[in-house]
Amino acid sequence: MKEKRNSLWRDAWQRLKKNRLAMICLGIILFYTALAVYGETVYQVYRAKDQTPFYQKTDLSQAYHPPSSRHWMGTDALGRDVMQRLIQGTRIAYKVGIVTSLIAIPIGVFFGCLAGYFGGRVDDFVVWLYSTFASIPGLLFILAIAMVVGKGLLGIYLGIGLTTWVGLCRLIRGEVIKHKEQAYVLAARALGLSWPRILFRHILPNVFHVIIVTFTLRFPAAVSTEVFMSFLGIGVANEPSWGVMINSARMRLWHGVWWEMTFVTVAIFGLVLAFNLLGDALRDALDPRLRRGEN
Amino acid sequence: MERRNSGWKFSLHCSAVFLCLLLSACGRGELDTLRFKNEQVLYGQTARIQGFDPAKAGDVASSMMIGRVYEGLLEYAYLDRPYHVEPMLAAELPEISNDGLTYTFHLRKGIFFQDDPCFPGGKGRELTAGDFVYSIKRVADLKNASSGYWAFNGRIAGLEAFRASSAGNTPTDYAAPVKGLTAPDRYTLQIQLTEPYPQLLWVLAMHYAFAVPREAVDYYGADFVNHPVGTGAYILRKWKRNYRIEFIRNPKWAETGRIETYPSTGTEADRAAGLLDDAGKQLPFVDRIVQFVVDDAATAWMMFLSGQFSFSGISRDNWDAVITPGSDLVSELKKQKIELISGPTLDLFYIGFNLDDPVVGRNKKLRQALSCAFNPALLVQYYNGRIKPVYGPLPDPLPGFKPDPTAYSFNLEKARQLLAEAGYADGIDPATGRRLELTLELGGASPDVRQVVDLMAGMFDKIGVVLKASYNNWPAFLEKLDRRQAQLFQLGWVADYPDPENFLQLFYGANTSPGPNHSNYENPEFDRLYERLRTLLPGPEKDRLCTRMAELVIEDCPWIFMYQPMDFALVHNWLKNYKPHNFPYTMAKYHRVDNDTWNAWKAKNRGHD
Repeated sequence: MKEKRNSLWRDAWQRLKKNRLAMICLGIILFYTALAVYGETVYQVYRAKDQTPFYQKTDLSQAYHPPSSRHWMGTDALGRDVMQRLIQGTRIAYKVGIVTSLIAIPIGVFFGCLAGYFGGRVDDFVVWLYSTFASIPGLLFILAIAMVVGKGLLGIYLGIGLTTWVGLCRLIRGEVIKHKEQAYVLAARALGLSWPRILFRHILPNVFHVIIVTFTLRFPAAVSTEVFMSFLGIGVANEPSWGVMINSARMRLWHGVWWEMTFVTVAIFGLVLAFNLLGDALRDALDPRLRRGEN
Repeated sequence: MERRNSGWKFSLHCSAVFLCLLLSACGRGELDTLRFKNEQVLYGQTARIQGFDPAKAGDVASSMMIGRVYEGLLEYAYLDRPYHVEPMLAAELPEISNDGLTYTFHLRKGIFFQDDPCFPGGKGRELTAGDFVYSIKRVADLKNASSGYWAFNGRIAGLEAFRASSAGNTPTDYAAPVKGLTAPDRYTLQIQLTEPYPQLLWVLAMHYAFAVPREAVDYYGADFVNHPVGTGAYILRKWKRNYRIEFIRNPKWAETGRIETYPSTGTEADRAAGLLDDAGKQLPFVDRIVQFVVDDAATAWMMFLSGQFSFSGISRDNWDAVITPGSDLVSELKKQKIELISGPTLDLFYIGFNLDDPVVGRNKKLRQALSCAFNPALLVQYYNGRIKPVYGPLPDPLPGFKPDPTAYSFNLEKARQLLAEAGYADGIDPATGRRLELTLELGGASPDVRQVVDLMAGMFDKIGVVLKASYNNWPAFLEKLDRRQAQLFQLGWVADYPDPENFLQLFYGANTSPGPNHSNYENPEFDRLYERLRTLLPGPEKDRLCTRMAELVIEDCPWIFMYQPMDFALVHNWLKNYKPHNFPYTMAKYHRVDNDTWNAWKAKNRGHD
């Protein structure tokens, strides 16, 4: 079992490596990740020192400087360096992407596994539950949750996290239904193993690629939602989120102050595109059926 | 009365940029078909309005709309400065008894309400003194939850008792007599005060005292807010909530032969500005007024540039593109014959401390330190000189105005020292060992609001205090203020009338939240002086009191005084008789649209493709 799994992952990696586009995307994502880690480090260092970080320092005499060697991406309305704030925005985007995944994926996997494995009443309940969730317009639901728990990052985490598990839950449920009739599951059952063990030790690893692919696809979606909410003024406060930056940048756009808007937009575009392309490539690489088709 | 977070003329809201591009693209066509040849139509912007009930509306935009339809006994003289009131529905200014307690108004005869189904036969009836008695009683009626009762609170004899009797579930008995509010005959109104109230004349020019016909209130019930029935120059034609409001000339004026004329006296400057060209001509000029609710400053600006709006404010972000460093209009706009008109406003913006708050409330030195850390020069720079710093609770040109920095104006050294004396040396909060963190409540989250907050966070950061913003929507923000849950809050006050009393009431102990004193400031000496001030007629004694009271407030620092905005407006050359006014509620009737000029402009600026 172990050997087989290893070979599946190694196999997938081999095929991914051959996909040049996927590797470029992976590189871009690693670059963003490095920026986010750097941003978080800066943030934590200043927090520990109890100082106001430099990217929040305002200086009106430096306002609206176009890109130059000092400020590679120019400065904003209050004379703050756009690049530094962009990096902080990356940090926020990553936090949102990761934390919402940590909320949504376990919920989706848990309910999907239970529904798929047990069927019957349990399945009915889970299907009812996710149908209910899916029937509520997503954005309204997110806004409602964010209103209840208050503005700021927590509201965004919970809002996005609690509403976006439905798709994954469906996928997992389908996969588990497929797997539970397979020989290895029947064998495990015949050996008298307990259901949690069968479900989470035997079946789950075999559907794990679904989770990985879902993660890479929902990550940019969560980031976009955060940007959107912050743009509307119901998201991040007191921190330089991409949405906040776009919202303030657009006021001066028609005066030719293009840099803040452009760089933030490009950053979002790059992140979303890289994750989506990589997600596609991963799905191809990890799907056993597609592998057979190739040969 | 009106509370707001940023100037409505240049407040910025969200929407996508492409929208502006779309709008400017489709701005070439005709806006509307004219109802008849050469109809004068005035297009403009408005904020969202609450409705047309004079007793209920409390914001500037609603007041403006109400002022198109309803009228009061008095109105502000359009051209004259300093401001004074003149009779509108009253035949002349009131006779005031020697003790200053009895005001007798003689009404004009032959004033009719507009035709409306609420009247017998649908024909508007003549206005009587009883309508004013009824309208003021409506404001006092608890069931109406009027935002304007403060204007009469405790002033008119017997009104208090009437208000008390309106509590409970039974319908309010409007027939119940109020001693201080009587109509001895059809055209005479007598107001009996409990104490001298020199501000009464200003109050009677406000929409709370406008004449409302009882038939309309009874006929429309809860829907009255959507069906204005007045005597004014205009009647409401169509209202699509939060989108478009349309007024047309009130036909009743022509039918009943009512004649109003444009003022014929003014200064030389008015004459030079062409404001007296229409002197003595019959009002109103404009046949139809159409106003759109446009939340987004960039969109509104595009609509102005494309000629859809006849006048516009100037948002901060447009300032550089519109105004040269020498405070003149840029040549492209001058070429289009757009005119720049400016004047001071009687508005004051401030950051309030909630004196009920355990941190900032009990620590006067801390408040003084924060006040010293506030640097108005940065705000002036940020707003490109569109604001004036203020150093006290009274704006220019009211008595008690402080033209120069005070002991608690910007001074970083002093701020640090005061902060140490307050128990927060270098900003460190001894309770946590970290920097002191304060929360500023805001009534909006537009980019402009956010940037000002970031700027202020930078000011406080200089003395080591962390300022966190908490963005609310407007109702939630007011709710927090009313419940005294805010620590710091940013707010503005728009004068209801040009009297220092109107600003000083914001510090009066009896007005604490949910009243307008949201700082919950209480100072027995101040209250004592205020009670004297409110019955004083203008004069040196009043000026002295104002100065003294301003000093008390400055010392106690319940507010950080931010700024007084300047009013800048851009006017297309086809709009005539436009003079900025702080209380422009009934002024639409003076404006004139020159169709020939407008058509020429359109031919020139939109004639391509």
